[in-house]
Amino acid sequence: MSDLDRTELPIRRRPFRGVANRTLAGSEPDWDLIGHPEPPEGAPNVLLVLIDDAGFGNPSTFGGPINTPNYTRMAEAGLRYNRFHVTALCSPTRAALLTGRNNHAVGFGSVGEFSSGFPGYTATVPRDCTPWPRILAENGYSTAAFGKWHLTPDGQQGPAGPFGRWPNGWGFDYFYGFLGGDAGQWDPCLAENQKIIGTPAGFYDKDNPYYLPDAMADKTIEWLHGVRGQDARKPFFVYFSTGCSHAPHHVAPEWAEKYRGQFDQGWDRLREEIFARQKELGVIPADAGLTPRDAAFPAWDSVPDKLKAYYARQMEVYAGYSDNADYNVGRVIDAIDELGELDNTLIIWIWGDNGASMEGTITGSFNEMTMQNGIPLTDEMQLQLAERYGGIGAWGGQMMDPHYSAAWAWAGNTPFQWGKQVGSHLGGTRNPMVVRWPARVTEGGALRSHFSHAIDVGPTILDVTGIPAPSHVDGIEQEPFHGVSFADSLTDAAAPEHRTQQYFETMGNRAMYKDGWWLAVKTPRIPWVITPDALRPYAPGVWDPDADPAELYYLPDDFTQAHDLAADHPKKVQELKELFWAEAEKYKALPLLATLSAFFGILPPIPDAAPVEYRGDVQNVMSGMIPRMYNHSYSISADLLVPAVGAEGVIVAEADHLGGFSLWVQDGKLTHTYSMMGVFIYRQQADEPLPSGEVTVRMEFAADAPKPATGGEVTLYINDRPVGKGRMDHTVPIRFSAYAGMDIGRDNGGVVDLSYADRKPFAFTGTVKKVVFDVKPHPAAQDEEALHAAAHHGHAAHGLSQ
Amino acid sequence: MKFDDETTDVLIGGYLSADAARDDYEAVLASGGYLHGAVVVSKDLKGNLSVEQTDHMVREGAAGLGAIGFAVGLFAPPLLAATAVGAVIGAGAGKLLHHRTASKLEEQAGATIPLGGAGLIVAYPHSAAAKVEPAVTRAVQKVVGEAEGHHVQALKGALADAQRKMSETGT
Repeated sequence: MSDLDRTELPIRRRPFRGVANRTLAGSEPDWDLIGHPEPPEGAPNVLLVLIDDAGFGNPSTFGGPINTPNYTRMAEAGLRYNRFHVTALCSPTRAALLTGRNNHAVGFGSVGEFSSGFPGYTATVPRDCTPWPRILAENGYSTAAFGKWHLTPDGQQGPAGPFGRWPNGWGFDYFYGFLGGDAGQWDPCLAENQKIIGTPAGFYDKDNPYYLPDAMADKTIEWLHGVRGQDARKPFFVYFSTGCSHAPHHVAPEWAEKYRGQFDQGWDRLREEIFARQKELGVIPADAGLTPRDAAFPAWDSVPDKLKAYYARQMEVYAGYSDNADYNVGRVIDAIDELGELDNTLIIWIWGDNGASMEGTITGSFNEMTMQNGIPLTDEMQLQLAERYGGIGAWGGQMMDPHYSAAWAWAGNTPFQWGKQVGSHLGGTRNPMVVRWPARVTEGGALRSHFSHAIDVGPTILDVTGIPAPSHVDGIEQEPFHGVSFADSLTDAAAPEHRTQQYFETMGNRAMYKDGWWLAVKTPRIPWVITPDALRPYAPGVWDPDADPAELYYLPDDFTQAHDLAADHPKKVQELKELFWAEAEKYKALPLLATLSAFFGILPPIPDAAPVEYRGDVQNVMSGMIPRMYNHSYSISADLLVPAVGAEGVIVAEADHLGGFSLWVQDGKLTHTYSMMGVFIYRQQADEPLPSGEVTVRMEFAADAPKPATGGEVTLYINDRPVGKGRMDHTVPIRFSAYAGMDIGRDNGGVVDLSYADRKPFAFTGTVKKVVFDVKPHPAAQDEEALHAAAHHGHAAHGLSQ
Repeated sequence: MKFDDETTDVLIGGYLSADAARDDYEAVLASGGYLHGAVVVSKDLKGNLSVEQTDHMVREGAAGLGAIGFAVGLFAPPLLAATAVGAVIGAGAGKLLHHRTASKLEEQAGATIPLGGAGLIVAYPHSAAAKVEPAVTRAVQKVVGEAEGHHVQALKGALADAQRKMSETGT
């Protein structure tokens, strides 16, 4: 099928080349009619691995403290790229990676949860920018994605879709993973193809609990075996996108124990150790300088002795978690090897979609969502909350959703400054990449220093497969790739550097690279601080981006950005500033800080606040799709059928004990439990048991005022008669959970009230006929606007943390 | 030492975990400072209450700590100054701090300790403050009240003073 026209997709049906007479007499079939397009001869299998939220200095392959033997064996048989770049944020890098185009140009100036009305921030990939996995599939590849997705808008993650922005819509034949920005590794709320399948049953197995990284590898291997069982030759493309090492940092204790005591020296010393190893390995130049610690990070020596074990444990768990990711990628590689296809598989393994994440704030957190909800907790408070849920020995287990300190992330980004969200500096934008493909790469163990970017990966893959970029897909003319192939660097260390220019922008932090020069313009805001005071200087009409301090680096002489040359080269600064604005306009990065528009009152139309009804046993409503019950009054009512013997169990529950609510029946009594991020836990219970028969129950929350995190009074009703009450002083202002879903008639995954944990999911033993959420509108239009703004502030804040 | 010879201090510490409260309780007992009594109370996430006390008042022939409502009005854990979106997360700790007369420590603590929270109350003569107070290092909220007078009245006065201060610091 070498004569196929692959420039227009889907590949057109070829004309019938046989003979069809009135009868079979003399008729000749054309067997190609029932075939399918095949890739060009020699097209290899492709395995693309993307690790989440990790830094240049994390894996041992690049001098880091985390043992990554599988990454190293791939590097020793392939190539290390030490000047590969990403966008400094999750979804934007993934969008750039899978479309071959700059992230803003495909609507991903921010994360998938945050759609706004500016073209670069819709979280909705335009149809004239078809993702290249679809191009592979249309050209005869079997394609599958496993793990983190984070490219489906928040409001489209249910059975009503639409599904064009789910993984299948991006060209993957098969998907097993989670749609959001993160997931518990013990208790993820998963999707398979176009269905949310919830938390795997293995979560309930105490002896052999489910663990997503293991399951991802299992599912990948199972899929590969299935493909090969059907077709021995058809090439595959696997996108293996780990939830690791994004928070929550979940891993079994034996993995963390491997690192016990290895971080007692603290983050300052750790950076020095990593830096020395990086030089020893040759992954950074011998004359590179180690960038200093910014004042935003405390010196390790300033950490009170009584808290050092708490901080060290955070990094031990993170290291074990990452080590395990390497192990599971290794299992997939071994499975390909067992198929006898490793040498014909192009492996591209990128260690981090952005620099290591500083979103744990300085303290780290027992619950990653405390930062997103703006809850200020000291490190002593965080430690005590960790103790509440099992102590630092349980950090990484099922009872917490932990995130480490921003200072550990900074160490993980050695030798660079800053980290995730900081698009202006290499700590956020430069990550390790290893490429292995023995069929083409014969110089095993070599280093490549070609300046490259996530947008170049897709064009490189198409280049080596011989598949052209299509001019049209589904009849729609395609915008050309912004990326360029670096395939010639696979075989030639002296190959020219094709990427000589690239803009970067994340959360207003921006950079312009051209011919070795790097202009860095970071907003003075500390990335993990989103208080009103911190945001106020960036309000419309207040912020002058050209007044932000500019730094200038010449990377050929300064690998790490250790020497700011801005004062010596004002013309170059100005030239690159102007070039940035031109590129930002060209690729739809404007307006800057569109991600934060909700904080400044720029909001979409107020949605319909009609009651939301769930009939039957609706389960696994994604956390971003539950009724907007935050920051104001609301009620939850349920029509029940209670047997004569009584009933118990959960009527409706969202998320878990680290943030969520449950309306349930204990000992025959209606009970409401509300977890304010695991910090405050409230429980109210009826004074009398439920009657049998048709029963209507209701929980009403009367807010003190329509304001973020409002307190208020809870009243429980049975058949419209008050039967219990209580007060909740603090409620969740933004979002209960990053990943845990809402269920009718049970509490899937981690439970909200731990008193029924041993009976989870504690399904209701009667019948839940209907659950209705009434998000009561407040009478004053002014209040309506305030509530609406608060809801979108929350949305934006969530976006800041993914 | 006679109870009414000098000012009586009452320290209240608030905690987010039972472990932290117990650490301070044991540190206070080991501080070497003279104590009239100390109580550590905690409530686990299922609602089970734990109370431990050392009641020197009984030894002195006075009514026990429980008899004066010692654990009443501990606190709701403080913190939470502001959210990302600028709201002050409401007050409320103060309303739990009304001093009521109650009979048993368990009943008192059960009514005031939030799920997952813990509290420590220590009573001591002011002369012991230099030893006792530094031993309390893990409280996320700590206040000291004081009062003079006859021993039970002094203790009640100091407790009320501490509870008032706790109410003022609760945010």
